[in-house]
Amino acid sequence: MTDAVLTQTKLSSRSLKTGRRAIGWRFATPAIALILLIGLFPFFWSLAVSFQNITGSNRAGIWVGLANYERLLSDLRFWAAFGRTLLILAVALPLELIFGLLLALHFQADRPFKRLFVALLVLPAVVSPMVAGSMWRLMFDHKFGPINQIIAWVAGEPVVLLWVIKPYLAFWAIIITEVWQWTPFMFVLILAALANVDREQLEAAEIDGAGRFRVFFKIVLPAIMPVLAIALLIRGLDVFRIFDAVWQLTRGGPGNKTETLSIFMYIRGFQSFDTSYTAAAVVLVLFVLSVAVTLILKRLRIAR
Amino acid sequence: MLRRLALAAALAALTAAGPALAEDDAAAKAVEAAKQYSGTTITVVAEAGLQALLDTQYSGPEWEKLTGIKVKVVELPFEEIYTKTILEHQAGTGGYDTLLVSPAWLADVVSNGAVEPLDPYIEKYGVKSEFDDVNPAFKDWMIYDGKTYGLVVDGDVLVTYYRKDLFDDAENKTAFKAKYGYDLAPPKSYKEFGDIACFLTEKYQPKLYGAGVINTGYTHFFFSERFRNHGGKFFDEATMKATVNSEAGLKALTEMVEQNKCMSPGIETWGFAENLSALNSGEIAMTISWPPLGRWTQGVNIDDKALSWVPATKVKDKIGYAVNPGGHPQLASGFLSAVSPDSKNKDAAYLYAQWMHSKAQSLKNVMRPVGLRDPYRLSHYDSPEYQALWPTAKDYLLVLKEGASQGLADISFIETFKYQDAMARAVNSAIGGEDPKVALDNMAAEWDQITEQVGVDKQREAYKVWAAKPSAYRQ
Repeated sequence: MTDAVLTQTKLSSRSLKTGRRAIGWRFATPAIALILLIGLFPFFWSLAVSFQNITGSNRAGIWVGLANYERLLSDLRFWAAFGRTLLILAVALPLELIFGLLLALHFQADRPFKRLFVALLVLPAVVSPMVAGSMWRLMFDHKFGPINQIIAWVAGEPVVLLWVIKPYLAFWAIIITEVWQWTPFMFVLILAALANVDREQLEAAEIDGAGRFRVFFKIVLPAIMPVLAIALLIRGLDVFRIFDAVWQLTRGGPGNKTETLSIFMYIRGFQSFDTSYTAAAVVLVLFVLSVAVTLILKRLRIAR
Repeated sequence: MLRRLALAAALAALTAAGPALAEDDAAAKAVEAAKQYSGTTITVVAEAGLQALLDTQYSGPEWEKLTGIKVKVVELPFEEIYTKTILEHQAGTGGYDTLLVSPAWLADVVSNGAVEPLDPYIEKYGVKSEFDDVNPAFKDWMIYDGKTYGLVVDGDVLVTYYRKDLFDDAENKTAFKAKYGYDLAPPKSYKEFGDIACFLTEKYQPKLYGAGVINTGYTHFFFSERFRNHGGKFFDEATMKATVNSEAGLKALTEMVEQNKCMSPGIETWGFAENLSALNSGEIAMTISWPPLGRWTQGVNIDDKALSWVPATKVKDKIGYAVNPGGHPQLASGFLSAVSPDSKNKDAAYLYAQWMHSKAQSLKNVMRPVGLRDPYRLSHYDSPEYQALWPTAKDYLLVLKEGASQGLADISFIETFKYQDAMARAVNSAIGGEDPKVALDNMAAEWDQITEQVGVDKQREAYKVWAAKPSAYRQ
């Protein structure tokens, strides 16, 4: 083959590649544009609004630079809501994981009425969080709710626990509702992951005389770890924007003792019409979340 | 000849009286004028629940029958009415025609341009002749900065309800006088309210408690009332610094928290429904609440299906009515009917508001089982029809009239919602266990922040307009 032919072949294969790439871009461009429009336009719009001072009584707004961010950094209510959201995350997520894992391990083996119980266990995750919040509010009612009734039976005397009024109880009421509703999500994902653990490895470990804990920590856990990581990430992001259940239970009260970030932003944005300030909060939270998620994905190596 | 003359005289008299009657009857005028819009549809905002049933079950169908205008009702929860009104206006959807506005929001909806000035319509369709009949306290609501933006359709005023049988009991009277040194009677002050609550609770618990109150939702109304009855003012007008954490504020909030101790276990969780339920089932001896309770405790007009949740009354003929302790009850919320500037059929929207506000139609509305519309016209208080609803209805109406005449208006300046929200949160956190002083200091700091954001001078002007009303601070 002569050099000329080689060069010609290389050129034609390169132009073929370029042509294919161009066609690919042509096909992909509308979808990419749409995604950018849907995903990024609101962000850039919020960013622009966050540098103004638009409120309910001042709809025109002027550019105020970083004033809203400065205000946000010194707003104790915002940081309290931020801290509270993290606290709910730190308590609810491990509980959901532990209960989900225990349930999945229990139902991994053949049990009587397994299908029925699995179906029943999944039900809470199907219910709307608003409905779940309302239901739990009734459950926690000091007079008609069964929770206080059960505690009273156990205690042997009437008990009046004001679950949605006293701040220390309201926090646990939120955690209980959240864990009740979302443990099934963890359970289903982990159950599916457990079904895919290599049977041969398990049998080999059993023959070698490995104990149950050793098998779990050395074989099962590493095998289901990617699924666990994804489940934790999804639930973590979900808990971070927790709104419905808290709103139905406490409306962020008493005072703002159970106010989460989403509730803070809802009240500021849609009740107080502090539009620009809320936009600044959204941008700040989005920034923090993006950094956190990127770092987590990098660490977990599941983005690759 | 004589017969002819008599007939002519009668005809002349009828002709003369005819226009005079029509001139005074704002309802008839609204109906007549609205007929030209027959075949159109207006969208009316209503508070979700019982309030909305007035429009869906009664007024809407009746208006359609009379004028041919169809009424489409949009139901919104109370806390969302303001938000949605503003959002719809900002988006310019024209989705609502006739609006429902609480007087507290008036400064905000006006500054947002979310309501249409009604003066030209009032002139055009002649409702003014019936304005003199509106209780002056409520007439105040309709005007902001010299212009009329809404027509009152619901006159809310908080009322004290008490068990006459327990208050009149000779044994109770003697024991109470011996313990407190004054007569057992409807409380004239909040201290007396607390004393009576504790006295009756001590004697009758757990079967019955001395008082019940509303502690969840609307708490800012109850604090505002006590605060001003104790002589409190919301701002120092010179500096516009919040003075809600003054001595009057601390006294009001501490009292609210302390008095809970003499009430039913779990009183901290009670809302309107729990309180009503307890009063109707005879579990509490006294409460402060909104007017429909007068009718409901008597079992009047509650055979409507929508009211099946109201517990059957066990206190019929046992309830007495009094103006709230301090003598100046809160004109808590209430409603104005207004017109959206984005409406495509403003005249029809206005005429529906005028008809609902009119003397003739409003009397029907305030007596309906649903709707929760309360008397606001002098003719409502004096209505023989209303007074005949139950034996003590006349006393009840008198208390509503006196209470309203001496009532305290809700705060209404720029960004009222933020101030009310901060106030409600402070009250709720104190009820939840926070030190009242800390709660009030936090609230005052938050109010100062809001004022600074709005602009001190701008807010001062709005505050002055509100504070100039006789119902802002009573002497």
